[in-house]
Amino acid sequence: MDGMEASCLDLALEGERLCKTGDYRAGVSTFESAIQVGTEDLQILSAIYSQLGNAYFHLQNYNKALEYHRHDLTLTRTIGDELGEAKASGNLGNTLKLLGRYDEALVCCQRHLDITRAIYDKVGQARALYNFGNVYHAKGKSSCWTGAEPGEFPEEARIALRKASQYYEANLCLVKELGDRAALGRTYGNLGNTYYLLGDFENAVGAHEKRLLVAKEFGDKSAERRAHCNLGNAHIFLGQFDVAAGHYKRTLQLARLLKDRAVEAQACYSLGNTYTLLQDYERAIDYHLKHLVIAQDLNDRVGEGRAYWSLGNAHTALGNHEQAMYFAEKHLEIAKETKDKSGEVTARM
Amino acid sequence: EAKSSAIASSQIFHSDGGEMEPETMEIKSVSEYFTKMHMGSVMSRQ
Repeated sequence: MDGMEASCLDLALEGERLCKTGDYRAGVSTFESAIQVGTEDLQILSAIYSQLGNAYFHLQNYNKALEYHRHDLTLTRTIGDELGEAKASGNLGNTLKLLGRYDEALVCCQRHLDITRAIYDKVGQARALYNFGNVYHAKGKSSCWTGAEPGEFPEEARIALRKASQYYEANLCLVKELGDRAALGRTYGNLGNTYYLLGDFENAVGAHEKRLLVAKEFGDKSAERRAHCNLGNAHIFLGQFDVAAGHYKRTLQLARLLKDRAVEAQACYSLGNTYTLLQDYERAIDYHLKHLVIAQDLNDRVGEGRAYWSLGNAHTALGNHEQAMYFAEKHLEIAKETKDKSGEVTARM
Repeated sequence: EAKSSAIASSQIFHSDGGEMEPETMEIKSVSEYFTKMHMGSVMSRQ
């Protein structure tokens, strides 16, 4: 290996180390330097393209991620590296999904699945099935009417969501066979969300409860928080508001533990709304005020507007007309500022 | 009655239909490839 080769490899290894620590910006810069230096080893070049694509993906720069995963796909096809091509197809599919290019993403998922089946790679097959489910889920969600209730979506959306659930079910068979509990947890989470959108709230609860169990087994607090939040949402639609409140309270505790202020605000908002449904307006006001304070801290004007609107409603319900008027005016002010026409109309009501 | 009962439940609780699990990206590790390559050359010398 000559000096140039060693330098490209060193830079690639350093880029990999930086990405592993979560420093994707420095990782991108180091990998791009490695490409500048160049290498004749096409497997190393493929790994660099792939990791650069993933780093841009984590940085949410999906167009750059697409560019590098495409380079990787072209390269792996050129050198006849089938496993490499399967991985590049999987990554490209995930990226195209986030860009809303669902049909192209599905082609990539199919290629990922075909190759992994051909080489009897069950782990790869399971991952391809999970990605397939995610693309159909996103496609279904994108066809939903804005503001429509779960279960009341157009047929096009329901077809895509049913496909998603079929792919998730197929994935579950494989990951159970492989004993991959982490993958099992992820799939139950997304399957629960799919049932939820299809209006099948009982099955949604069942799937999210299984996800919760796996999250606890791994001590994965973020996953546990997500499961509680999703369980809260599903119980609301089942009319089990007390149970929903319990899940949102746990969501709130975990959000605080994880120091995630935006999620903490969302949990307070959900709790405020749940206590409104329970007609416990004092508690609803308490949580909406907590939501308001965080929204103000985060400079989230839309969240602040929602908090004022909810506070206005709760005070109206309690007969506190003066306070209700104060919050309604604050809501109107923000609705005008954020050009929220529907909010402005609601505020004037 | 509170006005909130008049709006869609999907809007008062969340706007995106549930919190999704993370994507699983495929990893091509340079260090693993390098270790394999290095081990291969050591083995072939023996």
